[in-house]
Amino acid sequence: MVQRVEHSTKGAILKLLYTHNDQFLSGQWISEHIGCSRTAVWKHIQSLIAEGYQISSVQKKGYKLIDAPMGLSEAAVSAHLTTKVIGRHICFYDAIGSTQKEALRLADEGAEHGTVVLTNEQTSGRGRLGHTWQSQRGTNIALSLILRPELPIDQTPQLTLLTAVAAAETIEKQAGLSCGIKWPNDLLFEGKKLVGILTELMAEATYVKAVVIGIGFNVNTTAFPDPIKSEAASLASLTGKQFALAPIVQQFFASFETLYQLYLSEGFKKIRPLWEKRALNLGKQIKVRQPGGRVLIGTALGINDDGVLRLKKTDGTIANVYSADVEWD
Amino acid sequence: MLTIEDIKTLIKELDSSSLSELKLEAEDGKITLRKADAFAGKVKTIVEAAPQTTAVQAPSAQLEPQSNTSAEPAAAEANTDADPSLHKITAPMVGTFYSSSSPDADAFVSKGSKVDKKSVVCIVEAMKLFNEIEADCKGTIVDVLVEDGQLVEYGQPLFLVKED
Repeated sequence: MVQRVEHSTKGAILKLLYTHNDQFLSGQWISEHIGCSRTAVWKHIQSLIAEGYQISSVQKKGYKLIDAPMGLSEAAVSAHLTTKVIGRHICFYDAIGSTQKEALRLADEGAEHGTVVLTNEQTSGRGRLGHTWQSQRGTNIALSLILRPELPIDQTPQLTLLTAVAAAETIEKQAGLSCGIKWPNDLLFEGKKLVGILTELMAEATYVKAVVIGIGFNVNTTAFPDPIKSEAASLASLTGKQFALAPIVQQFFASFETLYQLYLSEGFKKIRPLWEKRALNLGKQIKVRQPGGRVLIGTALGINDDGVLRLKKTDGTIANVYSADVEWD
Repeated sequence: MLTIEDIKTLIKELDSSSLSELKLEAEDGKITLRKADAFAGKVKTIVEAAPQTTAVQAPSAQLEPQSNTSAEPAAAEANTDADPSLHKITAPMVGTFYSSSSPDADAFVSKGSKVDKKSVVCIVEAMKLFNEIEADCKGTIVDVLVEDGQLVEYGQPLFLVKED
């Protein structure tokens, strides 16, 4: 079964503090609510304070959460979650090699639809074909989402475009930045990458067992190392502000869930205009670099109702592109 | 009767469609048009028993076969047809075939590799969704029918396996 890491008395107390962070909670009320002694409540509060949580403690009133250490916790994300399914089961690790690898393992063991693996620090994050994704402790978001879609295999790639739309909405709502999407699922702001998405399918013959979507948001990184400086940006580097991570995660879950429901009931044709609205370089000349060294040059016409990129080549014919890296000058 | 112009139009239409093959039959003959990507880089324009028409070259630059691969798929096709007892591992979706997990890693399998049901044999990627394909049978890989980085069609045979 699914391993629930922070599923402890301390975690439960923290979640209560997050949920009611606008008021004081008495030790008595907490102990009754959770089913532990008042002494246990006091001990766990002291332990949370030692971890860096600022908890105000007032005689006759009780405890109130003032501030939390940098980063995420299961309690912080689940306390004000509005979704029905996405993120309702969180497997939180303060540090882990790769959320994606763990999510694939959990999916194989039967983790349910909507389960999320979340961490404060990825020590060996996986990217597409060996690319790595930076995630220092508590500064950025790295998570992997397990889905059990009842879809034919050939439709599952559409989920990558849907995820990009959900991430773009998240950034717009949380940071007020309007990102563009580079086909199929890169999120860019002024040419710099803000979000990385890696989607993997687990299938058996024609049956989809699970889709695991790994997503990394660059949030509070202020200085990128030289080789990626010109290619990467964060919400902090673009706005000059630091962001709390939990609301961004919650917003992503909410945006994703809404789009996913729309997709299941109405099909990709409803996602397509949302994607195209944010698409970069529609109607402009692009270079399509395909695996195996083939390069196509032409005008990006958009995507079709399957999510396939439509390119009008220089000879006037139209190519359907299923797999490529898009570039432009 | 089809004119050369009709055939050119058909090729253009096929080229921009998601179809991989188009067959037309009429009283005066039949024509088969197949996209290059549809079968391992081979451009095929077959015109059979139709004296009124002549073979037409596929026009698209994108569809030009890579010269070093053009001979192999034909052999693969013959092989596939020749020995129906071999298990075919086919592509479950349109996408790019990757023989390894990253450019500098070894191929998952090659000719002679032993596989079982859960062995990963390749990755097929479309729109940045990566699908690890499992052998789904126990045996020995006797042929690899496609090359790393090649576009594959739905249902296209990728490997031939001699089952134990």
